[in-house]
Amino acid sequence: MKDLLTTTRRQLLSLVGAAAMTAAVSAPALAQTGDYPNRPITFICAFPAGSGADTLVRYFANAIQEATGHTIIVDNKPGAAGTISAEYVARSDPDGYTVYVHSGFSTAVNYSLWNNPAIDPRTDLRGVAGINEQPFFIVVGVDSTIQSIEELNAYLLAEGENATYGTSATSGRLLAAQYLSELGATPTEVPYRTGIEMVPDVVNLAVDFAVTDPVTAMVQAREGRLRVLATGSGSRMDIAPDVPSLTEYGMTVDQVGVWAAWVPAGTPDDVVATLAEMFGTVMQEQETQDFLRTMGGVPWIATPEEVDQRMRENVEQGAFLVDLAQLPRN
Amino acid sequence: MSDFASNLALGFSVAFSWQAMWYCFVGVSLGTFIGVLPGIGALAAIALLLPLTFGMEPAHALIMLAGIYYGSNYGGSTASILLNLPGTPSSAVTCIEGYPMSQQGRAGVALFMTAIASFIGSICGMLIMAIFSPPIAALAFSFSAPEFFSLMVLGMVAASTLASGSPLKGLAMIGLGLILGMVGRDLYSGLLRFSYGVDQLYEGLPLVAVALGIFGLPEVIKNAGQITGRTVEARSISFASMWPTRDDWRRSWGAMFRGTGLGSFFGALPGTGGLLASFMSYATERRVAKDPSRFGKGAIEGIAGPEAANNAAVQTAFIPTLTLGIPGDIVMAIMLGALTIHGIQPGVSVINNHPDLFWGLLVSFLLGNFLLLILNIPLIGLWVRILAIPYWVLYPFIIAFICIGVYSVSNSVVDLYVLMFFGVLGIVMNILRFEPAPLVLGLILGPMLEENLRRSLTLYRGSYTVFLTRPISALFIGIAVLILAWTIYGMFRARARRRAALAAGEE
Repeated sequence: MKDLLTTTRRQLLSLVGAAAMTAAVSAPALAQTGDYPNRPITFICAFPAGSGADTLVRYFANAIQEATGHTIIVDNKPGAAGTISAEYVARSDPDGYTVYVHSGFSTAVNYSLWNNPAIDPRTDLRGVAGINEQPFFIVVGVDSTIQSIEELNAYLLAEGENATYGTSATSGRLLAAQYLSELGATPTEVPYRTGIEMVPDVVNLAVDFAVTDPVTAMVQAREGRLRVLATGSGSRMDIAPDVPSLTEYGMTVDQVGVWAAWVPAGTPDDVVATLAEMFGTVMQEQETQDFLRTMGGVPWIATPEEVDQRMRENVEQGAFLVDLAQLPRN
Repeated sequence: MSDFASNLALGFSVAFSWQAMWYCFVGVSLGTFIGVLPGIGALAAIALLLPLTFGMEPAHALIMLAGIYYGSNYGGSTASILLNLPGTPSSAVTCIEGYPMSQQGRAGVALFMTAIASFIGSICGMLIMAIFSPPIAALAFSFSAPEFFSLMVLGMVAASTLASGSPLKGLAMIGLGLILGMVGRDLYSGLLRFSYGVDQLYEGLPLVAVALGIFGLPEVIKNAGQITGRTVEARSISFASMWPTRDDWRRSWGAMFRGTGLGSFFGALPGTGGLLASFMSYATERRVAKDPSRFGKGAIEGIAGPEAANNAAVQTAFIPTLTLGIPGDIVMAIMLGALTIHGIQPGVSVINNHPDLFWGLLVSFLLGNFLLLILNIPLIGLWVRILAIPYWVLYPFIIAFICIGVYSVSNSVVDLYVLMFFGVLGIVMNILRFEPAPLVLGLILGPMLEENLRRSLTLYRGSYTVFLTRPISALFIGIAVLILAWTIYGMFRARARRRAALAAGEE
């Protein structure tokens, strides 16, 4: 027994020694970043494990792992609408081993929802690759007398504050705020926690119309409960080609949720390029594009510069919309 | 009817897949194990296993978690009968008649009747769920904010006043729970309330941490101080000793069906559940008995009724949870959380959009209850032996598992601080004899109650009469008022009786 113990211990010690040697050799190599990645990469997800958003993050983790052979780990850091995870990534070592896969629009809007934002996503994060664009939709119950967006506009202008509308999620509130400000109508807002919680009140016409996320809108329209009147994105989206954009009615509304990948701001160019290539390979696959459409969005293939550019626009747009919707800051 | 048949067929195809049967077996076995151990309920086990279900099919996850829940109700009575220690809160009432029977050498009969009563209660509860859920779900689309609000008010009033203990303390605890439910982001303004700069409280107090803190920790600490030695003779429970006499059967049938009725009703009402149903059933049996003096000395109908009641309640508790999205208790709240994590938004659409999940779960109850019958009658000796595990081995593990369970829900250390805070609060409440269940119920329903109240007032232009002018809502409010009136009448009558007794004593 004693023999066994000592042997095991000696073996262990030699193992530790070997590991230390490897570390010593590879440490300077890391500085050149030529051999990135040489250890597992962690994807940070701002939603709990198993959630719809988590499925999306894990899809990319698996697909990249299969395509490149590098090990990818998904770490869930939910809380405070993504603020906790965004700050975690921004404060991580800028070595390309911590990657944030999340909605850029919501990260940008968060910057305007706090008095002391934990990070500035324009300067603390660096874009890697685009993933998809998710439009929000204006819907009414299928039994509503309102058949089109023109009829809704006329109804809202006539009814004033007597009309009501439902919103779920901050993105929905912001889209409603801009649509109503462009229209010049002032119906009463009824907020809901989730899209599905709102559906019964839209169906039984307790609210006159609602602004909802793409998944709820598409699924409930298919089930014959909701009628989709318009999209808040700047142009018609190919997931719903029959639904007009508000811009077609002379309104300046162009809001799309946008998913992308980021790393901490100081990450070297070649590391970002390597990561971008990994995402790019997977984004080109038909399977990925089909998967992204089932998540209610349209695939968005974008370079690191385009992701950074979009973030700057989104932060600016977010600040404008938060003021317009008169959302208070925490 | 053909709809019903095809739904059931769908349920069978889901529940009788190899994987689903395996998870069902794991769930009910674990549930029985947890139930047998005094001081640790289904809640801790479910919270601990929740993260393990993330990789599973949603239906399988729910089948396993539900198995733990109703399995623990079977197991809970074992410790009640043999040791006079309730394994789960809702089996507390089983101690009253079960332990005397055990002392008379009739433990086997009591255990057997418990299993049979639990089985009958569960199967009836399941049938009620199968028959009533689709119409309720259809009706739910005409439910709007006022109906949700009134139903929750009714549930809270019933839960806090009808339960054992002081109705005033119950209402006070609901109130505290409602206040704690305000922590976090306000849906209307988007502002944070009472979070004091802790970002982790953005979504409100972590439910699992609060519930385990307030139920789990004090229970473990309390038992650790009290119980020293135990002697259970596993050998003494042979299969032959379990068979009830003809007289036992005769007494038990009626009790089981009355218990099932009570259990099904209170289970389906959000907020009330197995615990209340089992007390009500016991009180009813005492009242209808020809010879009430036998009670407290091992009357078998005092076991059969409450056991049927609490198991029926466990099954029907799924009705409001899956048809309306209103969780009746903490376990149901965690089940809804599990659904949300799997991308299934709880609410009126679960039964329509995910029929495989609803009917699969329902049919798994049938399978699970058969498995439990096998686990709890021929294999009872195995569970009895578990009671011999010394507490000094068991309790450190339970505490460690509680901490792991709480942490793993969202990988946050803040949740552990919340656990500790509510653990201390739970001990204080225990000493002062405040029930923890109404507090947790207030915390669960608080945000929904507030949002639906404000939503009703927004939708109906600030008119408070909307709760009385809409018929379904008025019905709920009416029942709530009746329950309150009955409670107040009961309190006055009790006081008058005490005075009379006092006066009689002075004479």
